[in-house]
Amino acid sequence: MNNITSLLARAFFMSTPLILGALGEVIAERTGMMVTAVEGIFLIGAWGGFIGAYISGNLYLGFLLAMVCGLMVALLYALTTVYMNQHQIVMGTAISILVTGFCTFFYRVIFGIQTTPLKVEVLSTIQIPILSQIPFVGKILFSQNIITYLAYLLIPIILFVMNHTALGLTLRSCGENPEAVDTAGIDILKIRFAAVAVAGCLGGIAGAYYSLCNVGMYTSEIISGRGWIAFGICFLGNWNPVGALIFGTVFGVSEAIGVYVKSLGMSTMPSELFSALPYVLVIVLTVCRKDLRAPNKLGQNYVKEN
Amino acid sequence: MKKKEILCDFLLWILFAILLGLTISFSFLPLLSVNPFQALTVMFSETFSSTYNMGNILIKTAPLILTGLAFTFTYKANLYNIGAQGQFYSGCICASAVSLALGGKLPGPIVILLAGMAAILGGAVVGFIIGFLKAKFNANEFLISMMSTYVIQYVMQLLLRTSLQESKHEYLKTDYLDKSTWLPKIIPGTSVSLGIVISLLVAVLVWYVLYKTSLGFRIRATGLNQDAARMSGISPQHQYMLAFAISGAIAGLAGLVEINGMQHMLLTGFDTQIGSYGIGIAILANAHPLAVVPASLLFGFLQVGGTALGHSTDAPASVIDLLQGFVMLFVLMSFYFRRKAELNKLKKKRIVTEEA
Repeated sequence: MNNITSLLARAFFMSTPLILGALGEVIAERTGMMVTAVEGIFLIGAWGGFIGAYISGNLYLGFLLAMVCGLMVALLYALTTVYMNQHQIVMGTAISILVTGFCTFFYRVIFGIQTTPLKVEVLSTIQIPILSQIPFVGKILFSQNIITYLAYLLIPIILFVMNHTALGLTLRSCGENPEAVDTAGIDILKIRFAAVAVAGCLGGIAGAYYSLCNVGMYTSEIISGRGWIAFGICFLGNWNPVGALIFGTVFGVSEAIGVYVKSLGMSTMPSELFSALPYVLVIVLTVCRKDLRAPNKLGQNYVKEN
Repeated sequence: MKKKEILCDFLLWILFAILLGLTISFSFLPLLSVNPFQALTVMFSETFSSTYNMGNILIKTAPLILTGLAFTFTYKANLYNIGAQGQFYSGCICASAVSLALGGKLPGPIVILLAGMAAILGGAVVGFIIGFLKAKFNANEFLISMMSTYVIQYVMQLLLRTSLQESKHEYLKTDYLDKSTWLPKIIPGTSVSLGIVISLLVAVLVWYVLYKTSLGFRIRATGLNQDAARMSGISPQHQYMLAFAISGAIAGLAGLVEINGMQHMLLTGFDTQIGSYGIGIAILANAHPLAVVPASLLFGFLQVGGTALGHSTDAPASVIDLLQGFVMLFVLMSFYFRRKAELNKLKKKRIVTEEA
């Protein structure tokens, strides 16, 4: 019982950055922009978050810097795809490669060569009074860190904005029928640009979650495909914030299982296969889900006629 | 514009992008108190100081050509195989397993041939699965290919910890391959193996298949306009599977070139970026199979130059990653500016003719 409680608590802990990244992706993809640079955004978030926290000694400043870094990469991506009309997948991959080089190089510039990895204290959990006293559920849901609570708070907000406001309608229309939006006199490029920027901010925080909440240090392998998993969660969740929550949790559980099996340390167990579980799940679930309805113009750049 | 003019124009833009990338990334070097001009000199002088070092460029180039071609091939079908890394690892696993099992028991050339076939098959199977899922379930091919890379990486780790592990069971790597299964060296005084020849042949073959055969025509037609292709009796689904299987096979072959030609053993976490470099090379080459060769040579040179830089100055080799990233970014941007310049020219021409 105790094992299951800690496993599930761990699962919700691990699902937070995936949900955050997927939420950003949902906002951008509803306007028709796939943020394929998400892997790079996560990485620079982890990097910027660590640097900010290590130098200032304040984790929240770390998260702030991570957000700014993620925003910068997203702006570069949005500039080249929205305004310079380059292919979204190719551009995203190129930017991710650039970010990889950038982070490694400037980590060296800032910290020099280190023999032992630099560490920061990880973000502490906040026990919500009364609620955290509930047996079982309290330990799992109400003893998490502040980022996790914020991520859950964000879901109803995004849901409301998407479905019940004029802004949400415009956002969705950009992905479904950009010509109509353009005819209505709304600057569609500006809206797409802004949506990608928001996705960059959320992705940056998500990346910093790995360096500041999970391990308390930065390595160049820290993200290893988690950005792409967030990208996949957005697909699997049918471009819906609630779907992102559900599948984010599924992946959190699968990642927690991988960590748990590895921690058992049994050499006879193929623990590598359990670590590969999230990646296998993305493949299996994308194949299985048939009722997906992608935004009509997803991945297609809009070229204004003149 | 004539074809030759277009090519010249294109090369000029690419050259400009490369120089800009070089300037920007090297201008960060003073932060590490390294003189960028000195670094540049070191990069060139060290790399071209001996035949051995120049040979190293070719060694690095050989697998890069293949991963570049792998991305190019699916790109022509308007598909995105961003998981060539996984297919490459799959090829590595197959090549090393066959070479370890049969090395010394059968004549070397036969083992190499079998290992090559295994590597091609290993990559092709992974590629085919991705293409199949795309064709049958309309799955997202770039997402799946990316994920398959990580799955294969973990499978490789598992194999290296269990059945393929070296006889001492200490490190996560295999035994050295039997010497008879190493690809023969072709240039004396260097370690350049037959791998570069294989890669060049594949580049020509890919060009021939894409532009001179009906298979290539079908694939390109599907890429240009899927609906038009279907109307004229080409099944896009078949092309997806074929293109991905062939792309995987090419990436798998890179595994043979790397394992039997250079590493002579399989170990964890080597060449972790060969897949993404392949994408960069394909971008630089504007997805033309023959242009992939010079683009790979450039990347190969940068790899060797970066290592030399790391050895003889305080500049880290990661400045090369930075450089490659900037070059890719600027090449993609140059496509936009080139198009804009062209449009402006056309507009001016029209105004002139209207006035006349």
